[in-house]
Amino acid sequence: MGDVSFLERLHNLQDTYGYIPEKEIVSLAEEYDVPKAKIFGVISFYSMLYTEPTGKFIVRVCDSLSCYLNESDDLVRAVKDYLGIGHGETTEDKRFTLEVVECLGYCGEGPVMMINDKVYTYVSEKKALNILSNCL
Amino acid sequence: MEEKILLKEGIDIDLKGRGGDTPPAEPNINEYDFFVLEEALNLDREEIIEQIKEAYLKGRGGAGFPTGLKWEMALAEEAEQKYMICNADEAETGTFKDRYLLENVPFKVLEGIIIGAYAIGAEQAYIYMRGEYARPRNVFSKAIEEAYKQGLLGEDILGSGFNLELRLIKGAGAYICGEETALLNSIEGKRGRSRTKPPYPIQKGLFDQPTAVNNVETLASCREIIRIGAKEYKSLGTKESRGTKLVCLSGDIWKPGVYEVEFGQVTIKEIVEEYGGGTRDDAQLKFIIPGGASTSILPAEKLDIPYCYETLAQAGSSVGSGAIIVVDDSHNLFDLMVTVSRFFMDETCGTCFPCKEGNRQVNHILNKVADKGGFSKEEVEIVKSIGRTIYLSARCGLGQTSLNFIYSILKNYPDEVLLGGDKHGKD
Ligand SMILES: Cc1cc2nc3c(=O)[nH]c(=O)nc-3n(C[C@H](O)[C@H](O)[C@H](O)COP(=O)(O)O)c2cc1C
Ligand code: SF4
Ligand code: FES
Repeated sequence: MGDVSFLERLHNLQDTYGYIPEKEIVSLAEEYDVPKAKIFGVISFYSMLYTEPTGKFIVRVCDSLSCYLNESDDLVRAVKDYLGIGHGETTEDKRFTLEVVECLGYCGEGPVMMINDKVYTYVSEKKALNILSNCL
Repeated sequence: MEEKILLKEGIDIDLKGRGGDTPPAEPNINEYDFFVLEEALNLDREEIIEQIKEAYLKGRGGAGFPTGLKWEMALAEEAEQKYMICNADEAETGTFKDRYLLENVPFKVLEGIIIGAYAIGAEQAYIYMRGEYARPRNVFSKAIEEAYKQGLLGEDILGSGFNLELRLIKGAGAYICGEETALLNSIEGKRGRSRTKPPYPIQKGLFDQPTAVNNVETLASCREIIRIGAKEYKSLGTKESRGTKLVCLSGDIWKPGVYEVEFGQVTIKEIVEEYGGGTRDDAQLKFIIPGGASTSILPAEKLDIPYCYETLAQAGSSVGSGAIIVVDDSHNLFDLMVTVSRFFMDETCGTCFPCKEGNRQVNHILNKVADKGGFSKEEVEIVKSIGRTIYLSARCGLGQTSLNFIYSILKNYPDEVLLGGDKHGKD
């Protein structure tokens, strides 16, 4: 908040816990002397920051135009079927969170899937299931 | 992956094109010669700005504002602190050229940032990079770290007396943060919502101080202008479009990738067919989007025009970010419209009510239209009227351009998108 390190601190908390827990939000609010809701508002603005625990693997599948032209809809369907969850959901065993997202910046190599920090390109359905089954 | 160097012989701007690649090795600072930076730091600030102005470089982030003018205004501002910001938030659908530069030629980008900061008199610079760009972030963080060690950042850079701190800020997943004022809010640790302009960032930017925000490709191009000189740079291209541009080819095409083209020297058709290898399989080219999903489409029969700002504007579209998305005739137009409209519905920052609500409504209408296989006349009118409202009230380019794709489809393919009885009633 009014500080170039603030976003970085949120990222660090996100990396540490896999989400930003309430207690950290409370202590940030105290430190910056702003209402808790304000910190919460910042966090919820950004799609890569979470206030609830996510799965161990965040699976992001791009469904923007260039990927769509390369059949990303089939990939999205296959991943949803395999994981048994929809966009924004987490599997019961807390392994996967699925997000169908907008352009990831690898449009020439679509369809594109990201798992945590790793990007996979030219992802066929078979390749996707293979990658996901290796996420342990 | 084969390398596609597409510049004509004798023209070597060193921003070589390469298709759909994961770069083989991380660039090594010890193999890079920072002579351009050294040369720049020996020039007066005004001399650098004069060069950039003379080269007629326009910003490559989408808006096309003249870079030299921006720097001149930033230099003229009096302030304790000024900031130089490199915009590496790249998230316009179809765009991946900045990632190419960050991964393959990070030191050129770095030189561009330092040269820009020096020119406007900023001692603090930031590069704001989208959160999803993990590999480019690693490559560039390492470049920054090594640059500090070698005295290319920090105090008294290369003995010039110029000091500069550079820090990488990792974005957190919001397309709107590429808009320069939203980007400033995000760096300040706030929600990435755009600010009303004026004041422009040049006057009141980061922490209310004068700030120049420039795109990655713009800054890399500035480095090249200093290297080859403004005269040579401006001899490339056309009157309104000097130099070269990185074009990102994607979609229904054989050889997608990043290509560098000299403005005005190749037609869009040539870019698609010769560089991109044409459409795949037996499908016919239907249309292209010349500058990312926020620009208007150009139908196949209108692609015989040289690639540059002037001709694209005449054709009713824009160079935009340089993302050429190629679409063949095998797709359902309604599904494409739903896909593009969902992007804007997802990415609006919600500050202006019409942009937020309007894009949601348009998406809703499009889904309905897709189900029944066509627009009624009334639905076309509703979409148009929502579009006008968004356009008039939008604070930033996202809202203003959000319906370009939909409009241009309606305009170019009325017979294909209107329901049977309504086809001929359209204006
Ligand atoms: C919604 C929106 C998103 C934008 N995203 C980017 C971006 O990712 N990268 C970029 O350089 N410019 C982006 N821009 C343009 C910036 O606002 C700004 O014009 C640009 O960074 C200025 O740099 P330039 O003059 O070097 O192009 C975006 C604009 C809008 C309206
Ligand atoms: S036009 Fe849309 S994206 Fe831009 S500031 Fe307004 S609501 Fe946000
Ligand atoms: S459209 Fe999927 S990565 Fe850009």
